[in-house]
Amino acid sequence: MMLVGAFISHYRRHPFQLAALALMIVLATMLWAGVTVLTDQARNSLFQSEEAVAPRVHVVRTDGQPVGVAEFAALRMDGLCVAPWLEVQRPAPEGRVIGIDPLAMGCFGEATPGGKSGELDGTPFLDISEAKRLSREGYDSRLYLLAPNENAELPQGYALREFSLGPSTGELADSFLLNLDALSLLVLLITGLLVRSVHRLGIAQRQASFDLLYRFGVQRGRVRRLLALELVVLTSVCVLPGLWLGTQLAGVLGSGLGQALDSLFDVTLYAGSAEALPWQAAGVMVLLVLAVCLVDWLVPQRWRGALSSSRARLAAVLVVLAGLVVVALAPELARVFAGTALVFVGVGWLTPGVLAFLAQRLSDRASLDGAGPLTRWRHRELAVMFRQLALPVVALQFAMATVLAVQALVTTFESTFDDWLAQRLEAEFYLEVPPGADASLAADRLRRLEGIGPWHRVSRGEAGIVSESGGGDKTLPVDLFALAPISDLVAAWTLLASVDQPWQKLEQGGVMVNEQLARRRQLEPGDVLEVLVRDTVISVDVVAIYADYGRPAGEILMAGSALPEGFVARFESFSVNPGELAMAEIREQLAEVWNVTDVTVRDNASIRALASRVFGQTFLLTRAISLLTLVLAAAALLIMSWVFFTTRVWYFRLLGIWGLPAKAIRSQLRRLSVILTVAVTLAALPLGIWLTWVLVARINPLAFGWSLPMALYPGFWLELGLVAVVTGLVVAHLMRRQLVHRASGQQVKI
Amino acid sequence: MRVRAGVTVLCLAMMVAACSDSSTEAGFAGLAQQPADVDASGFLQPQPGDTLTFPEDWGPHPQHRIEWWYLTANLETSDGDPLGVQWTQFRQALQPRSVESEAPNPDNWPLEAAWMAHGAVSFNGEHWFAEKLARGDVGHTGATAEPFEVWLDDWRLRAVPDSDHWRLRAQGDGWAYDLRLSNTNRMVAHGDKGFSAKSASGEGSMYFSLVDLRIEGTVTLGGETLEVSGKGWFDREWSSQFLKGGQQGWDWFALHLDGGEKLMGFRLREDDGAFLAGSWIRPGGEVDALGSEDVTLSPSSWHESEQGRVPVAWRLTIPQYDVDVTITAPPGNYWNTGLYPYWESPVSVTGSHPGVGYMELTGYSD
Repeated sequence: MMLVGAFISHYRRHPFQLAALALMIVLATMLWAGVTVLTDQARNSLFQSEEAVAPRVHVVRTDGQPVGVAEFAALRMDGLCVAPWLEVQRPAPEGRVIGIDPLAMGCFGEATPGGKSGELDGTPFLDISEAKRLSREGYDSRLYLLAPNENAELPQGYALREFSLGPSTGELADSFLLNLDALSLLVLLITGLLVRSVHRLGIAQRQASFDLLYRFGVQRGRVRRLLALELVVLTSVCVLPGLWLGTQLAGVLGSGLGQALDSLFDVTLYAGSAEALPWQAAGVMVLLVLAVCLVDWLVPQRWRGALSSSRARLAAVLVVLAGLVVVALAPELARVFAGTALVFVGVGWLTPGVLAFLAQRLSDRASLDGAGPLTRWRHRELAVMFRQLALPVVALQFAMATVLAVQALVTTFESTFDDWLAQRLEAEFYLEVPPGADASLAADRLRRLEGIGPWHRVSRGEAGIVSESGGGDKTLPVDLFALAPISDLVAAWTLLASVDQPWQKLEQGGVMVNEQLARRRQLEPGDVLEVLVRDTVISVDVVAIYADYGRPAGEILMAGSALPEGFVARFESFSVNPGELAMAEIREQLAEVWNVTDVTVRDNASIRALASRVFGQTFLLTRAISLLTLVLAAAALLIMSWVFFTTRVWYFRLLGIWGLPAKAIRSQLRRLSVILTVAVTLAALPLGIWLTWVLVARINPLAFGWSLPMALYPGFWLELGLVAVVTGLVVAHLMRRQLVHRASGQQVKI
Repeated sequence: MRVRAGVTVLCLAMMVAACSDSSTEAGFAGLAQQPADVDASGFLQPQPGDTLTFPEDWGPHPQHRIEWWYLTANLETSDGDPLGVQWTQFRQALQPRSVESEAPNPDNWPLEAAWMAHGAVSFNGEHWFAEKLARGDVGHTGATAEPFEVWLDDWRLRAVPDSDHWRLRAQGDGWAYDLRLSNTNRMVAHGDKGFSAKSASGEGSMYFSLVDLRIEGTVTLGGETLEVSGKGWFDREWSSQFLKGGQQGWDWFALHLDGGEKLMGFRLREDDGAFLAGSWIRPGGEVDALGSEDVTLSPSSWHESEQGRVPVAWRLTIPQYDVDVTITAPPGNYWNTGLYPYWESPVSVTGSHPGVGYMELTGYSD
């Protein structure tokens, strides 16, 4: 009991220490729980929107007539697995719904459209009879007959086609989610550092009490056990409010996403999980707090002393170098993650020492330059602060690096996503050529329409890239896309490399290849390709390499006029900007040319708006997470600085006793704290830039086989610098209050 | 009599109607209660005195809530090995429709009725089962009285034109059958001229059977096609509410006895006992209705499995005909593992009147 009393007595005398540690655990849990909930939320939202727009296989009539209930019944009675999918498009704000028949879905097995829950609550799926009732109110609707896969054997008169409500976001979404996971791990690391820093400070301040206990004969092991118990109790108590706060925070941040999705699909796509506490996150946090706070007991004393030796610093440099090499050369994802961890460990190890060393050098140089004693004092004090505040400094550095990387990543994703949408949805409208219809007749008709905007016809077929390497002919199958005419619609495409005037060269018989094919075959503009189209091999110049944003299949793009004889298009479509004409008029013209009653037209603008909004909200969530991390790290620095200055207050007070005016002392304090935070920001910059590179240029290609462009945003660095200055000023203000408080009894005015 | 499966259809239909799953929690007894979401006001309820009408009663009864077409067959392969076959199609109405009314427009994907089909093959201790579901009035499922045809997707039982036989085809994962059914004109009306009471308080159904079908054809199992022939039993039954609350499950038997007699018997398990009834069909076709006082039925052996514990051997006595037999399912697991599992197995009959038959047990699933 005496021992417990001694422990409690310490906190009775220093309640702020207990409050600081408790607050840090609460905040860390809040951050981790918030990140966990938000990450899950972003993941669920993406999965659900993907489910609604995922490409599917559907059955069409080869005579171009639309399919209906009769075709559905006939195909089912023929033993074919098909299911109805009735899209009804209502104007905003109600949005689109999809009618399905759950009783017809049994044969789809795992591939059941609309999810497997069997619950039809209009998100966006509802029973097809209800969807049909809506369509009878005059809304646009279209019935598809879905098939589970492309291998179904169809009776004569039917064919299979792919359709999607929008381009599949699968790989882009997967990539983003992977990066979100990586971010979560970094957040965990940062919270661990913050908690450890506050805990270590408390332990250091209680060292005198522990020494006293040892002198009274209390075993070290017993003290440690009690310390561990104290930590378990404190963590268990603090994790609960942290969990609740994190969940509430995620609910507030995530509600924006929910509202956006509401307006897309009329009803909530993702019901936020704010009501459920993420207990798993609580378990992780308890383990993390215990691990980071008690790890010292596992490390022998002599090792701890060695951590700050010059040999250890050399080891840290080697760790960083090893990490850099591993990340740069590793052929698999796990090693890249391991290499990244090495770099973070090494940098975290080195940063306080390096910053302190630089401060010391500044002080030495100031002496040589004959600078005043105050300048020398400030630099020396700075060196002390970097060493004493090592952990929060490193935590802030990591947090800032993470924020930098996430900001660059999200901005890059956004711009990539915009480019990707622009490439796939380049025109206002998109329409498929019905099976059996002649696309050239439609092209002739479009050509004759006055007032129509830019349009082009896309013919998709198969080709092979002939290679004579390796001792025998090998043909790499690729998708061949033919464009005719080469319209302004493609002008916005991102070309990674090209010859001069690539689109003109394309029209003259050159080809463009996608990024993946270029990588695989190490192609560059100006190279010559041997392309096998049916039975004909043609030699063509590569005039450009275009970004493909993750499509793994090889593609070549050529002008329709350059297609060799015998090319058979598997699929044809038109991309059309109606210009001065109404799309309904163009649709009627094409229906007349093709002699069909209905032509499927996809409104690209609405799809683009849908996709942009879904992703936009996800990006917003990610930014919210990184900002939260930064705020927490800054808060930790504030707490730590405050505690730190409590221990140095006598020292600053001496400045006043020595006759330094109060204004000058305040100025020194401001300089000290602002230099500290800005120095941390500067130290975070290279780490953040490197982390950005790792995410876009290493992790993404290894995970998905394609890379994102690396972009830097110096404007954001300045914003971050501003945050650092503000943090420094707040720290200075707190320090001043601390000094005033301590000095008030001694008639020293600061 | 296939009440448990009726629960399945009801629940599926209710699922489509976006109701909660709570109706399934009532289990077997739920059939006796009117689901809250279903308008029962227009449904017809069979009563004593109702009679059968042909050919109309071969087809659907849109004013009744539940009905089924049900075939069980005790067949033998050319090697003499026993093989059992089941085919069933259920209709569950969500709203009644008078016979005079036009069917709803298929283009509207109406949801007035849900249909379900079950197919099963039992052979050498193994059991194959498949389930299909469909909404009615769209075209890919339904039934007609004349010409007689019942279908769901590509599963189909139909009268072959200009002949006196029917053809049944169905297939599932790893199994298929294509059977020819003859002697399809010897009907047996159960109970009181077709009204079959299901409780002492008067709930019941309209129920008739073809008890002496001759069947031949092929059954394909795992790619091997077997020539088969044997006896079949075909049931037609419809009602709107024929069980009362508190009834927990159903034990049903259809037996072909070697002396030429046929026996249908069922037991509805109630909180305070059971309701028994059946039909004794003489070789010449005369039918004697059996009541609770005429029949005793008690389980003598049980089978444990993941799905539940079921009685697989029974003693059945009908003193007035000196019947004292033991009914035994062959070794194996004969659960039809659809959404709501039930046991459906061929049986052998030993004792005073040996023979073969089929047994259905519901309400034993865990």
